[in-house]
Amino acid sequence: MTKFFFAVVIVALLCVPAAASTDCLICHSAMQGKMEGRKGVVDVHIDIEKFADSVHGDFQCTDCHMTYGTGPHTPPSGDVPADVAELIPFVSLKSKIDPVAQSACVICHPTIYKELRESVHGENIFVKKETDGPLCLDCHGSPHYIVPKTDENSHVNHANVLHTCGKCHEDEKIVEKYDMSAHVIEKYKESFHGKKYILGHKKVPICNTCHGSHNITKWDAPDSPVIGEGKVKTCGKCHAGATKKFAAAPAHKYIGKENPIPYYGEKLLILLVFGVFGFTISHVLLEAFAEIRDNVFRKKKGGHHE
Amino acid sequence: MSNKELPKEIERFNIIFRIQHIILFTTFLLLSFTGWALKYPEVEPSAWWVRIWGGPEIAGKIHRVAGVTMLLDFLWHVAYLGYLFTKGMKIRAVTTIIPLPRDIIDVIHNYLYFLGLSKTKPKFGRFSYIHKFDYWAVFWGMGIIGVSGFTLAFPVFSSQFFPEFTLGWIWPLLRILHSDEALLAIVFILFWHFYNEHLKVGKFPMSWTWLTGKISIEDLKHEHAREFEYLFPEAAKDE
Repeated sequence: MTKFFFAVVIVALLCVPAAASTDCLICHSAMQGKMEGRKGVVDVHIDIEKFADSVHGDFQCTDCHMTYGTGPHTPPSGDVPADVAELIPFVSLKSKIDPVAQSACVICHPTIYKELRESVHGENIFVKKETDGPLCLDCHGSPHYIVPKTDENSHVNHANVLHTCGKCHEDEKIVEKYDMSAHVIEKYKESFHGKKYILGHKKVPICNTCHGSHNITKWDAPDSPVIGEGKVKTCGKCHAGATKKFAAAPAHKYIGKENPIPYYGEKLLILLVFGVFGFTISHVLLEAFAEIRDNVFRKKKGGHHE
Repeated sequence: MSNKELPKEIERFNIIFRIQHIILFTTFLLLSFTGWALKYPEVEPSAWWVRIWGGPEIAGKIHRVAGVTMLLDFLWHVAYLGYLFTKGMKIRAVTTIIPLPRDIIDVIHNYLYFLGLSKTKPKFGRFSYIHKFDYWAVFWGMGIIGVSGFTLAFPVFSSQFFPEFTLGWIWPLLRILHSDEALLAIVFILFWHFYNEHLKVGKFPMSWTWLTGKISIEDLKHEHAREFEYLFPEAAKDE
């Protein structure tokens, strides 16, 4: 039975428009689950339909998995371009699973890779040699299934950015380790921009709109887009004519005791709201009660409501 | 003047006031509907509700247009009142909308009546304290919700008027003011206005005064006894 199943899969795959990747996919589309390899646990399954629909769908497997060219059962070998080779020790810090393939992004995306290396995210890996901090896959997901960012399945689609950034920025251990601002995701959700974002607004600014993505800096870095002159420029992307005074507005400051005027202002307002509710509701209910009493139990002769 | 010579009805609101009221409640409803979802965006019905209004972007545009229209309507009302004064409109205790000490006595009197501690209802002039509360609530709303709403809709323009020391907290405060006072306005209208002008015995489904501008002499006698006495002193003596 199993043999028959494999035969069907192989025949089916041979019908797929010819690509050399088919050789690998004959097995890797049928294989399910994870395998314990020499360097860690590997998900061996490739969803061929999703792969074909991805932006990398017409790639050969060996374009990135370049050391696996000689066959599936021989140890990886072969030359690796210098720009890729240089990245491997750093990428290996984060993941031991084919770091060659994980470094291969640089072949086609050299400028973005350079930006990333110089960013606060890249610095953590390439200078501080830490294991945290995002490389390509951490934000974009598996390269086999990357779709354009306009696609709502993209991890970096406007609607998914908050979740993608939140993977680290909501992680208390990471936040504490690097002394980052706490609860930023929550604070954003509380902000005016954030409330609209949650309702599904497509144009409202989300993390990368202001902070940048591959070129992200620490918020208080001299060239930061979220302080001083940089912030004025950033706000001006949407708010035409933004001034320094306008940009002084906190974008996502917690509404809590740390900002006492809005905090206690709201408490006062709630008091007022309940005061007014108390008066109006008691008045309405008592009046309704009186009307019923008058009309049902005290039928007045010649009265207005007979 | 005997009862027979009395008109059947009198005009309570002229056409200008009626148009102002129609614009006011149309924009009020639009603003409530399009703004509501932003109060509690994280709950599931909010996203569903805002989609009915064309999604957050369209709802936001409707909200801004309705808001500016409402503010203009309000300014028109105030300007029109000013115009009426130049045409000789007088402030009289019995016909004015301005709150007077007597209104407080009326509130107490009415509560006593509700509780069965007084046998008589208070006698109201042209505007009872119920009407006055309703009317001035709009002024309060325009001041708080209107001004904060304007700053939120045109933040770059508005920011130039804020003193330097307020910049750290003014925006969250404005947002809270707008949102909490809007909630207050909606609940107030639902209870106060809907009960008094729609649900009350003799009013259901609504008082038609908003369309016709007229009030019948019968209603005038009972609901605005002091105004009736003022307008028709002879007839009032006969009663």
